Amino acid sequence: MKLETKRYVIAGLGALFLLSLVLVQWMETAHKAEQAGLRPPSIAVPASSKACVDCHSQAQPGIIAHWEGSTHAEKGVGCVECHQAGATDADAFLHYGAQIATVVTPRDCSRCHLTEGQQFAASHHAKAGNILASLDNFLAETVEGARLDFNPHSPTPGRAVESVNGLASAFSGCQQCHGSKVAFQATDGGTVTVDDLEPDENGKPTNPDAVARIVKDDNGRPLMSPGSWPNTGIGRLNLDGSRGSCSACHSRHDFSPRRARQPENCGKCHLGPDHPQKEIYEESKHGVAYRDLKDDMNLDGDEWVLGKDYAAAPTCATCHMSGHLRNDGKVTHDPGERISWTNRPPVSLVMDTDVNHAIVTETDPEQRRRLIHDSADDKRGRMKDVCSHCHTPDYVNAFYRQYDDLVILYNEKFAKPGLAIMASLADQGLRTPTQFDEEIEWTWFYLWHHEGRRARHGASMMAPDYTHWHGMFEVAERFYVELIPQALEIAEHAAADGQRSQAAAVRRTVSEILARPEHSWFELGAEEETERVRREMERRYGQGD
Amino acid sequence: MNRVAHWLGDRLPISSDDFRELTNEPVPNHMKRWWFALGGTPAYLFVVQIVTGILLAFYYSASPETAYESVRYITEEAAFGWYIRSVHKWAATLMIAAVILHQMRVYFTGAYRKPREINWMVGMFLLICTLSVGFTGYSLVYEQLSYWGATVGANIADTVPLVGGLIKNMMLAGESYNERTLSRFFVLHAAVLPVAMVVLIAIHIAIIRMQGVTEFSFEDEDENEPKTFNFFPDHLYTELIMGLIVMIVLSALATIFPAAMGPAANPLETPEVIKPEWFFFVAFRWLKLFTGTAAVLSMGFIVAVMFTWPFIDGWFRKRTRFQEASVWIGIGGVIAIIALTVWEAVARH
Repeated sequence: MKLETKRYVIAGLGALFLLSLVLVQWMETAHKAEQAGLRPPSIAVPASSKACVDCHSQAQPGIIAHWEGSTHAEKGVGCVECHQAGATDADAFLHYGAQIATVVTPRDCSRCHLTEGQQFAASHHAKAGNILASLDNFLAETVEGARLDFNPHSPTPGRAVESVNGLASAFSGCQQCHGSKVAFQATDGGTVTVDDLEPDENGKPTNPDAVARIVKDDNGRPLMSPGSWPNTGIGRLNLDGSRGSCSACHSRHDFSPRRARQPENCGKCHLGPDHPQKEIYEESKHGVAYRDLKDDMNLDGDEWVLGKDYAAAPTCATCHMSGHLRNDGKVTHDPGERISWTNRPPVSLVMDTDVNHAIVTETDPEQRRRLIHDSADDKRGRMKDVCSHCHTPDYVNAFYRQYDDLVILYNEKFAKPGLAIMASLADQGLRTPTQFDEEIEWTWFYLWHHEGRRARHGASMMAPDYTHWHGMFEVAERFYVELIPQALEIAEHAAADGQRSQAAAVRRTVSEILARPEHSWFELGAEEETERVRREMERRYGQGD
Repeated sequence: MNRVAHWLGDRLPISSDDFRELTNEPVPNHMKRWWFALGGTPAYLFVVQIVTGILLAFYYSASPETAYESVRYITEEAAFGWYIRSVHKWAATLMIAAVILHQMRVYFTGAYRKPREINWMVGMFLLICTLSVGFTGYSLVYEQLSYWGATVGANIADTVPLVGGLIKNMMLAGESYNERTLSRFFVLHAAVLPVAMVVLIAIHIAIIRMQGVTEFSFEDEDENEPKTFNFFPDHLYTELIMGLIVMIVLSALATIFPAAMGPAANPLETPEVIKPEWFFFVAFRWLKLFTGTAAVLSMGFIVAVMFTWPFIDGWFRKRTRFQEASVWIGIGGVIAIIALTVWEAVARH
């Protein structure tokens, strides 16, 4: 072979080698940049979901764009993996050759995320749907709305309104956070829910009559009852018997860990007058630090272990759910694992829980000890482990002392007395069993459900304004200026109506409460205290009034 | 200038004529073509690696607790740290590419044939050292892929019959990756292998000087023209131009594609995809195509054939009429290497 020929061989192979090197380096550089989070990962659409992606990228490009930005897409988890359904599932339908279901439940997610599913199922979040039989729901379904469709009473120009959905407030309000009871439209005009389907342990319906009553469209797709769907409430009662919705926190279809780590995610529900946890957090030093240092929070990190991946500030997820250095980075999907008081009921309860994760209300110490499976002290210990990444044990213990004192003050000074007054009125027949049909019931509800929670939540997360002005100040005002006078007024009316013994019983309850040292100022006055304050004001500002 | 030469001449036992003789080796005309001058490029890049490596070693700390953080510090905080690290990373890539191109040129022009068989083998040792220094360097970052790449590499070595366990133990300083492994890699990467390479390069060049550069003549060359030209300054200029071009390319690559930080090593979490650096793609894909010991032994056989190729080729040329068989084998080999490398790069697993 001539040297000239060899020259061309070398040139050709050398060029081929360099070209392949450029290709390999380009791919490796892109791969490294993906790993370092400098560019979005390349997505390979799984073969099983290719048809879905092709069609829905035209019809609903947003869904596909969100999915393409997800870890699911990066790891080759497509549409079918989550939406697949068995032929015997109540909500299954054949969609271009694939058996799928519209609603993805925690049972579906648990096919891959088993531990997370189990933790979530044990959580208070998963039981949020219990509100459907609670006082709050009575408020939405009956007081705000009506448990029936009723006729409009005058025309709505531009809109032919034939009937008014009395449950609209419950559907669009309460249930969007607490979760709906997912329902199909039924052939008899009603609905088919999990109660009718009676699913077995695998989520398959056992009641064929109920399945037969499901209304389907021309393509065989079951029709959802619009009141119950769309719904991503965290305690949703699903057709397969599971509870909850993972997308309540991990919004579809990108299921972003970054978003779940941010307080705004929790703020969809944990805000407002009755439980303003997000606003409380924002007022606290924790929230202030977060706003300032958000860029240092490593929110995009694959892992998010406090003390290792970040330490700039805590978010809701940090304290209640995320892993940290002291627990080997173990995340929990049960936010109750680190909460030692429940401030949800009128009187706060210690979070000693039994094997079923229910709060132990037994008062006998021995019995109580036997029932407790996970004590409030254990839960507090877990939270202290989080706190201790940034605070000393003395600091944390002193904080908990302040928090406990506030909760106990609220319980003993206002909540238990308020409860006693309301019970006395009920026992004496001086208020009806129906809630919210008397002014004092609204007063009491405001006191514990709104103001009392604000005070307790404010103390729990170090927000002084919520503890005091939005909290205890309004609790006190509601108690002294509204609840007590209204109770006495009811007693007065009862006495005038001849119900003297009942009126006397209520007055006795109120008097006993007001005679207690912590309330004595209200009737006996507090001249000495007032004079002391006047003198101090005069010393400081030169005037005492 | 003369006074300086005289001053030096009085104190060093080298005359200026000797020095000129030493540095002014006549260089064959074919070396005017740049693709015949690729041997100098890896040497130049080796110097770049030494300089940038020393700068990186000022900050690097070789222990599992501190390695990743020190590399992060270099990349994100130290002044020009990102640039030095990126140049080091890209120079490694270019050096390996230049070594391969140089070896291809030597191979296809038959420049390894008698009497240059020994220098070919020295070159093969240099190739092995270059790849080893790349492997140990990749491990020092202590990213997920560094850690798992080293673990997989050691496990592959373990499959070698008889001595596999010993090799693995020597690589990792124990049965598995432990707190002593990283310092072992660091010593190999920053001391043992570079010193070995300096010695080998010196031998490589000394043999070239003793034997002279292989001379080639092309058809378009004038018979009446001199067959050689001066190393100094003519060939040195060529090398300098190539060095400057390489430096520009290096700087551009380092600036446009700076070395990034992957996730930190986590011994408890095996990544879904483990890949070595690109220059091991060919071996990695080969190991995936075959299984366990067979794959390792066959690869060892190929390396042994490459080492002894000048003798195999000589034997073949003497006993058969296929005088150019090596060219066709070489074409097949290069295409196979390229194909396996690209395959591994493109494949997800």
